[in-house]
Amino acid sequence: MSVTDAPVKIAGDLQRESTPRGAAVFDVQNVGVSYDGNLAVHEVTLPIYEKQVTAIIGPSGCGKSTFIRVFNRMNDLIPNAKVHGKVLYHGADLYGKDVDPVEVRKQIGMVFQKPNPFPKSIYDNVAFGPRVLGWRKELDERVERALRRAALWDEVKDRLKKNALGLSGGQQQRLCIARALATEPDVILMDEPASALDPIATTRIEDLMHELKRDYTILIVTHNMQQAARVADMTAFFSVDIAPEGDRTGILVEYDETSKIFTQPSDQRTEDYVTGRFG
Amino acid sequence: MRVGFQEELDYLEASLHEEGTLVLRSLRGALNALVQQDEELADEVIAFDDEIDARYLAVEEGVQELLARQTPVAGDLRLVLSMLHVNLHLERIGDYCVTIAKLVKLAPPVAPDRMFVDAFQEMGTRAEEMIRVALDSFAARNLEQAETLVDLDELIDRANRRFVQQVLSFGRDPKLHEWGLRMIVVSRCFERIGDHAVDIGERTAYLVSGEFREFTDASHPDEPEG
Repeated sequence: MSVTDAPVKIAGDLQRESTPRGAAVFDVQNVGVSYDGNLAVHEVTLPIYEKQVTAIIGPSGCGKSTFIRVFNRMNDLIPNAKVHGKVLYHGADLYGKDVDPVEVRKQIGMVFQKPNPFPKSIYDNVAFGPRVLGWRKELDERVERALRRAALWDEVKDRLKKNALGLSGGQQQRLCIARALATEPDVILMDEPASALDPIATTRIEDLMHELKRDYTILIVTHNMQQAARVADMTAFFSVDIAPEGDRTGILVEYDETSKIFTQPSDQRTEDYVTGRFG
Repeated sequence: MRVGFQEELDYLEASLHEEGTLVLRSLRGALNALVQQDEELADEVIAFDDEIDARYLAVEEGVQELLARQTPVAGDLRLVLSMLHVNLHLERIGDYCVTIAKLVKLAPPVAPDRMFVDAFQEMGTRAEEMIRVALDSFAARNLEQAETLVDLDELIDRANRRFVQQVLSFGRDPKLHEWGLRMIVVSRCFERIGDHAVDIGERTAYLVSGEFREFTDASHPDEPEG
């Protein structure tokens, strides 16, 4: 028997399977956001890939939260906010004249920094979206499915009629995720979803993201760089340009696979930020 | 700016370079013990390895602590990983010096031809130069300088091959045979020290460029064209 005949477990087999990159769900083309004529985010162009976790990181004031709100037209709700450029969602213009923002928010759910359940029962929180949409059939099953997917079912199945405000912070956040899932979205936006949670609750949310990306496309804004390193497949680094007059504008500096951003970033500004030498 | 972190990184790299200085002292001692057939000096080299090992452990513990507490990324991560490798290479070079010193004591006391003494001087001096170039290019993040190690290594390799040929041409004297066998191992130690210096150079390349690559691929030497 020669050396090459011997059964050898090669290192390649042991490598962690990286998520294959699917089609682009969003195609962001030269998108900027301004408030009262002041540019808050400048000319961003990037694709967001299907069934991946994409993290948006950057220092305070770089427009991360403003940018993520572009994806479900939340900026429409802010007076004097204007979105420029084009956002294609599965190839269609998200800001087209005939597009209903409410329909957009059904498809593209959002979870916020602080858990914000309604002061109602656990069940009613999750059933709220489907009821608004007139989905009366099999509501119990729908609620259970959403709670299971949010990894909360086992903890709340015996107290569905209890007030949601009695849950812990981490449970409330998973309830908000269940609420977003109940309308069967395609994309979930998360704006600092774990920043108000303790480390154990944070780990559960991160594990949940890992599970959810099998079925959903996830965008997350996070201040916690290590969280981006742990959960994201792709990472976009935003920074701030400060004009001589003091106006601050968020710009996209680098967008790449997360492993590249955290081992060998292409831009010195990214390197300085992720290594903690700036920001 | 993470001031404390930067200080720890700088301190760790300085410790690594101090380890390099210790290794160079050990190599010089081993070489002198060899050419002067000085068994006392050989004993000193063997004992001195404890200092290299202590420094090696301190650097490894420092790296472990940095990884655990500071979660370095990007260029910092590459530096920390590179230091881990360079640390191991230096420790191995120290071990080769010990092997040379032990062989000085084991070899029968024959008075070798001047030609052999010169050969050891050449290999030892080249090995010293390679360690210096490897450490300097790492400190300066100088990829071009690191790549010169390949040519320097070729010179040691050739000297090693020449040495082996000379030993093979020995006559029938069993004492000389034993001496020759032991000295082939010594020659091989110098040759391996050169290889470790090249490996340190490859870490410099990784640190600078972020790419893992061997300067030369010994498993797939250039095949003749056509």
